[in-house]
Amino acid sequence: MRKKVIYAVLGVAVLAAAGLMIGRALQTSLVYFVMPSEYARDAASFDGRRIRLAGLVEPGSVAFDDAGLELSFNVTDAIQTYPVRYSGAPPDMFQENGGVVIEGRFHDGVFVGDNLLVKHSNDYHPPEDGHVDVEALKESLR
Amino acid sequence: MQLELGVVGGAAAFLALAVALYGAVVGSVGAVRRDARLLTSARLAAVAGFVVATVAVVVMEAALLTDDFSVSYVAQHSRIASPVWVKVVTMWAALEGSILLWAWLLSGYTALVAAIAPLSPLRPWALVVMQGVQTFFFFVLAFLANPFTVLPNPPLDGPGPNELLQNHWMMAVHPVLMYLGFVGLTVPFAYALAALITRRPGTEWMTSTRRWTLTGWGFLSAAIVAGGWWSYEVLGWGGYWAWDPVENVSLMPWLTATAFIHSVQVQERRRMLKPWNALLIIITFSLSILGTFLTRSGVVSSVHAFGSGPVGPAFLAFFLIVALGSFTLLAVRWDDVRDRSELDSVVSREGAFLGVNILFLALAFAVLLGTLFPLIVEALSGDRVTVGGPFFDQVTLPLWLLVLLLMGIGPLLPWRKADTQSLRRNLAWLLGGLAVGTVVAFALGVRKIYPALTVGLAVYNVVSLGLLLSGALVPRMRLANRPAVAVLRSYAFENRRRVGSMIVHFGVVVIALGVAFSSGYRVDEQIRLDFGASAPFEEYTLTAVDRFMERTPGRISAGAVVEVTKDGRLIATLRPRLNVFGEGRPVPTPAVVYTPWHDVYLNLNSTVTPTTTFVVLRVVKSPLVTWIWIGGFILALGTAYSLSGSGRTVPVRASVGSEAAREEGASA
Repeated sequence: MRKKVIYAVLGVAVLAAAGLMIGRALQTSLVYFVMPSEYARDAASFDGRRIRLAGLVEPGSVAFDDAGLELSFNVTDAIQTYPVRYSGAPPDMFQENGGVVIEGRFHDGVFVGDNLLVKHSNDYHPPEDGHVDVEALKESLR
Repeated sequence: MQLELGVVGGAAAFLALAVALYGAVVGSVGAVRRDARLLTSARLAAVAGFVVATVAVVVMEAALLTDDFSVSYVAQHSRIASPVWVKVVTMWAALEGSILLWAWLLSGYTALVAAIAPLSPLRPWALVVMQGVQTFFFFVLAFLANPFTVLPNPPLDGPGPNELLQNHWMMAVHPVLMYLGFVGLTVPFAYALAALITRRPGTEWMTSTRRWTLTGWGFLSAAIVAGGWWSYEVLGWGGYWAWDPVENVSLMPWLTATAFIHSVQVQERRRMLKPWNALLIIITFSLSILGTFLTRSGVVSSVHAFGSGPVGPAFLAFFLIVALGSFTLLAVRWDDVRDRSELDSVVSREGAFLGVNILFLALAFAVLLGTLFPLIVEALSGDRVTVGGPFFDQVTLPLWLLVLLLMGIGPLLPWRKADTQSLRRNLAWLLGGLAVGTVVAFALGVRKIYPALTVGLAVYNVVSLGLLLSGALVPRMRLANRPAVAVLRSYAFENRRRVGSMIVHFGVVVIALGVAFSSGYRVDEQIRLDFGASAPFEEYTLTAVDRFMERTPGRISAGAVVEVTKDGRLIATLRPRLNVFGEGRPVPTPAVVYTPWHDVYLNLNSTVTPTTTFVVLRVVKSPLVTWIWIGGFILALGTAYSLSGSGRTVPVRASVGSEAAREEGASA
């Protein structure tokens, strides 16, 4: 009987420790997927966090320094626009008005990304009149 | 009139469904009424189901190879210009075909069980369960994902399979291994349910499926390692495991299956953990179905998800039926399966097995949580999140190290209770190995905690294998007075199951070292190279010699010729490239120098046209990464060696046998 109590206490202790560890790990490694306008609305809650910023490449904003391998462009969802810096060559199919997802962090208003994904979705076409349905865009970039 | 392939294939799919359903119904009626004629009929149906499913597969392959675009699957996923091997493997390159492959392999296993499994009270119900599972798969194939739909206006050519899949021959191997694994683990699941249904919860269901379980486990292990190598060779980021949902769902059943093959031994020897074992195999099978749901329904985003459609909900429903049904059955039979013996001591073989079981289950739970968490968050708050790799690393790394720790001590502990003296002696050796390994690694410059500990645990495990072997060999050498090599040879020949497990454990150690160093000491850089210019990378010099363009049937490649030199000596000339298949998007195709110490991995990060003057390369150096594949091979070899022995258990069990017989009698 005493044995059983010891095992039960040990088991609960191990489970509690594991739960604590898992909870902490989840908290620190949860990466939110946000559009520029969503970020602007609630910038404080993402402060210093790693996020995945999704949107379209603003036409005319792309600059690539091929000697230093620095790519910079603006990402936009037509409501809000942010400058992005990424170390590396523009990936294949990277183009103006194309959908991108950048993973990284904001530093002084500039989003510094370390992972850049091009979304070549057929589901979404930027409308001509400049009005963008953010929800539809977000869905297409998922 | 010529019979259209689509019509024949579709008919075969429906007939296979009918045969599987017939087998399941007649089999269960026969089992309830103990009617031998009905049972024989069900067995014949199992064989007939395989024949019909084979017809469907042959028709599909014929349609692919003859470019018959009137068959919908061929029109959607094949292309005239593809090489023959690509056409053959296109059968499992997309959703419908992968269901066909799975269903076909399952019908093959069912037929094999019907043909060669010895007659037992369990077999009829096991066949019923397998034919029930088959019924589901053929239902999906016939109604929800029919690849044989006849197109009235066939196109002249198709788009070809997913570019990433046709870019590497591993596509021919990895999925087949994976399904052989999943399907193989269906057999012990079916026998477990049969044991619950017939109230025979003894060891019969697992001893008679030991080989099936080990075969399925071996295929699943090989599939996971092969999948890692495939993504290393294809995906272009120089890694092999990204904690992607599709990878995770293959890992979860492997974890629970690994727990299962260890804990069944406790039941075999000590008559304990009966409900636990039934639970584990039920969870394993359920997880393989849940994984299929997650990857075929589009609910999780992943690099290699199969897209959405009606198949997802069907798999979800089937998962719920399987899980709820099996758990209910287990609950109803709880009194039969309850353990009557107790753990004598934690410091015993069964204690170690129990510990490693808990670890594997914790690992499976952590992976499941990390994989499902985005779904939970989205359902509750509407936020889109991903759980990054750091979560899985943080949570699983300590658990993996504990697994390595138990792997070394477990096999050295005797059943029931370890005597203190031999325990002390073994522990002294093991902990000595652990300390020496860690300190030496630290002294040689391995300053990161996990890789250093992994080296220590690797030495510890090698010491453990040495102790196991010497413990077995030394008394035999004294007794027989023969040289060590001869004794070793006869020991390895006679104790294949045991020696096989040692080889598998050694493979795990090799994999662990490969993983620890390739992830702990990976160097990843982007380098810009003008053609003709050189740049240093670690101890190497990279020179972009030239660009090239090449056109093979069905494929256009453009890339760079890069020379890798070290101290002025040419190591290799690599040709990283972008491949374009038909109208598809370009697929970066890395080129790798494999060496025992580390790989140098080049991936093209910029496009190459006749006018480009420079390339951007992603260059990755991963120490010891090759040893992961070698370790996987050792592991597969060990599994095969373990299986090569006779099905009988070693004669040591003679004394336990009578106990087993009594218990079987009592429960029957």
